[in-house]
Amino acid sequence: MAAKGNVPQINFPGRVCNRHLSAGAALWLLIAQTFSDEDAVPLTHRINRRALLGAAAVPLLLSMPRPALAADDGTAVLADWYRLVLELVRHTATYSPPVASRSFAYLGITLHEALVGGPGGLVSLAGQVQGLTALPKPPAGLDPALVLQGAFTTAIPVLFSRTGPTGQRAMAAMAARQDKALAGRADAATDAASRAHGAAVAAHILAWAETDGGAEIENMGFPMEAAKDKLLSQWVPTSKVAVQQAPLLPYWGTVRTFVLSSGADCGLPPPPDFSEEPGSAFYNEAKEVYDTSRSLTDEQKLIARFWSDDPMLSSTPPGHWISIMLGIFARDATPIDRQAEVLALLGIAVADAFIACWDAKFKYDLVRPITYIRRLFDPKWEPLLNTPPFPEYPSGHSTQSGAAAGVLTALFGEGFGFDDATHEDDGLPVRPYASFAEAANEAAISRLYGGIHFRAAIDQGLAQGACIAAKVTQLKTREA
Amino acid sequence: MRSLIALLACATPCFAQEPLAPEYLEETATAGLSTAYLGDWQYMVGGGAAVFDCDGDGAQDLFLSGGEGASGLYRNLSEKGGALRFEKRDSGLEMEAVTGAWPLDVDSNGIADLAVLRVGANKLMRGLGDCRFEDASDDWNFDGGDAWSTAFAATWERGADWPTLAVGNYLNRKEEAFPWGSCTANWLHRPAESGGFAPPQELLPSFCALSILFSDWGGQGFADLRVSNDREYYKGGQEQLWHIAPHEDPRLYTEAEGWKRLRIWGMGIASRDLDADGDTELFLTSMADNKLQSLAPRVEGAPLVPVYEDQAFARGATAHRPYTGGDLHPSTAWHAQFEDVNNDGLADLFVAKGNVSSMPDFAMKDPNNLLVQKADGKFAEMGDVAGVASMGNARGGALADFNRDGLMDLVVVNRWEPAQIWRNVTKGAGGFLQLSLADDGDNGNAIGAWIEVEAEGHKQRREITVGGGHGGGTLGWTHFGLGAAKSARVRVIWPDGSEGAWMDLSPGFYRVSRSGAEAQP
Repeated sequence: MAAKGNVPQINFPGRVCNRHLSAGAALWLLIAQTFSDEDAVPLTHRINRRALLGAAAVPLLLSMPRPALAADDGTAVLADWYRLVLELVRHTATYSPPVASRSFAYLGITLHEALVGGPGGLVSLAGQVQGLTALPKPPAGLDPALVLQGAFTTAIPVLFSRTGPTGQRAMAAMAARQDKALAGRADAATDAASRAHGAAVAAHILAWAETDGGAEIENMGFPMEAAKDKLLSQWVPTSKVAVQQAPLLPYWGTVRTFVLSSGADCGLPPPPDFSEEPGSAFYNEAKEVYDTSRSLTDEQKLIARFWSDDPMLSSTPPGHWISIMLGIFARDATPIDRQAEVLALLGIAVADAFIACWDAKFKYDLVRPITYIRRLFDPKWEPLLNTPPFPEYPSGHSTQSGAAAGVLTALFGEGFGFDDATHEDDGLPVRPYASFAEAANEAAISRLYGGIHFRAAIDQGLAQGACIAAKVTQLKTREA
Repeated sequence: MRSLIALLACATPCFAQEPLAPEYLEETATAGLSTAYLGDWQYMVGGGAAVFDCDGDGAQDLFLSGGEGASGLYRNLSEKGGALRFEKRDSGLEMEAVTGAWPLDVDSNGIADLAVLRVGANKLMRGLGDCRFEDASDDWNFDGGDAWSTAFAATWERGADWPTLAVGNYLNRKEEAFPWGSCTANWLHRPAESGGFAPPQELLPSFCALSILFSDWGGQGFADLRVSNDREYYKGGQEQLWHIAPHEDPRLYTEAEGWKRLRIWGMGIASRDLDADGDTELFLTSMADNKLQSLAPRVEGAPLVPVYEDQAFARGATAHRPYTGGDLHPSTAWHAQFEDVNNDGLADLFVAKGNVSSMPDFAMKDPNNLLVQKADGKFAEMGDVAGVASMGNARGGALADFNRDGLMDLVVVNRWEPAQIWRNVTKGAGGFLQLSLADDGDNGNAIGAWIEVEAEGHKQRREITVGGGHGGGTLGWTHFGLGAAKSARVRVIWPDGSEGAWMDLSPGFYRVSRSGAEAQP
């Protein structure tokens, strides 16, 4: 918290505020007072998205040192709510990795848009990402923490409306906890206006989200009819779980993308030709998975489990990257505007990654290692990890980790090190990484160690992720 | 489990391929049961039935957990073979905040007592006869603690004169925004040298247990403690099996001992040696798919290891989705119990179903299951055919022969609405044995004993346990269907391992002691 006496007292137009405000909030107030309402509308609202994407890359290197802001600029609100969101992802039955990535995207964009016109000079993504229209204009004199509280309390109960009674109770408790913490930081009118703006932005984003084709999830994402008449090269169910006899979310490749033109954008070359012939490329890839599984080191086992990120038992692979960033935010006292920007771009990256990945998965419909290896090498073979219930190529974790790392490297630079404590609560150690790319590469190869992916799915997944990241980093997020 | 094929080899010649469909008649409106399991968040789990004879008349009486409302004890007034009728009694058990109850004779005086689990302090209620009870927790030095208790099991460790009790606890009920990962410690209450109970030992790590069971899982002659945990709330958790050895601290089975990590929404345990091969199969309830665990074939010469195969899919027992009513969302399963509902000699399976609260991704109309075992070892859903496909929001329940006609009736505890009860009226059902064990010494109900029954070449084995299920259990009569057999060979392997003599018994009720079987009216 900011030390009392170090924070400026600012006069709101038409009223006097003697509350203590953070430097970030003060900056936003100054900006808001400088512009008229019309001027406060981001210029990018009027920028043609296609023209933007076709333009030369706007560098997103925003890693220059920035002053740490006091916690009450909204970072405490964001940290608490996002911690809860990671739990809700874990504990909401529909939240498979693709579904989670979608919510991370919309929530991140909500925060970003809620702070447009506020601290840091963020500009709107409206007109830049598919289907997002101009958002409500921010009135002058808003408090960013209260804006975020308004946004979170509107968006999260909707995104997690299907969670269980404990999640519902937790959301209510979190709202009350934040309300209590935020009480008295602004006068009543500012409080109400700030919350209302956050809520209005969230409502706008939620309405947009409803139209993307990914809002309704039935039967936890599994079709009711089991897969039939499959070729040897094609995916078949790999478990004896009854609801998983059909592949997860076969339509997800058609969900509306954010920066990709469609799920087929950033398409991949086909995997090696299916073959059971010893010495063939496909056979050799399967043999590599089998041989690796029989000689796993303790470190490789740990890596596989660290990046396993199973739905309902973790915050899923996209949540893992969100968790990494929350750790970095806390370590570096990252300013609130930067946090919102990062969460928006990271969310978009992983969401588009899952859409593109799923498009490819159902285009190529490739058999999983467990099916092939049991038929050809060892009928009793057990991979270290449970095989996910959908086609193999490419690896979802690889694609989305490649996309995440690409975006984050663009934001923070090469060689940005961090400690990953995502699974500390589950008893797994904190793992250090020298860069985002190192983490992504490890996440990708973990799927081979876990026995659930062939090499091509890993390599091509990372490549697909890099392609997606290159498009996400074209977005303009700040004033020039 | 030798294998499913071995079961087929035995079963196929003995039984018709299609099982006799059980028939049930709902008598909720006239049976006199009025207790509903009430309460909000802290009562989303629990809510069970305890079935036992509290007045010594040979008929099974009934205790129903009431959650935030008052619990109720019901004396069984049913005529033999007649309609089910109960009378609510002022019993001393009309307490609130009850999540579940399991009957056992704690003080070995021949009168059943009741372990009552609560949100708050648990109680050991001493049976006084005539279905009256008093709180004996202090007298027996039983520390009821202050937790959200949800699971119970009891055993008599070899040589002990008091039982060992295990209490499973759920999460920290005071955590609101971040309750996940707040599972509180389970407790092991062992006998004190001076009588009664020593201070409880914490069974750490604990992972939000919803069902626990002392069972001789491998037929080794002693019981370990199986714990089924709710993955919704633990972090770093899994299902558990504890070594429980006299005078030793409990310790978990490890991966080095063959234990394999399984993470489910564990809610209930039903156990039965389905193939009579000496070890128990376990049905573990969860959300969506349920598990039917069977020990993997033992490697000759190798030590017994707790490695299980999931046979639920292969045997048609996943019970993952409503089978009637039109709601196709995944199911939520709670209490489970194996009993033979058509007396054909094959154990069938009841599963109570109900949405946690109003979770839209899971079925709101979630009928209870009655999975009837076929000759090939697979299960066929007959809940709708039998007339027990209730859409109530079920939690606990029990299959028990309330009207002493040899057919297993059914009571189900529902959340927010009164319990339901059905009389088994199956026409053409086979014969039966109902056996009540009476052992010498302190463990008078012979907890830990095995009963073996052979009829027309078909063998059945049952372990006498206290625990498992969801929110409740049964003490007293142990039921076997006999099919068309006119008599059966029966023996008891008593808790100390001594093998009783084989006895030839015709269908009916028997009190069985070490000196033999005595027919009961």
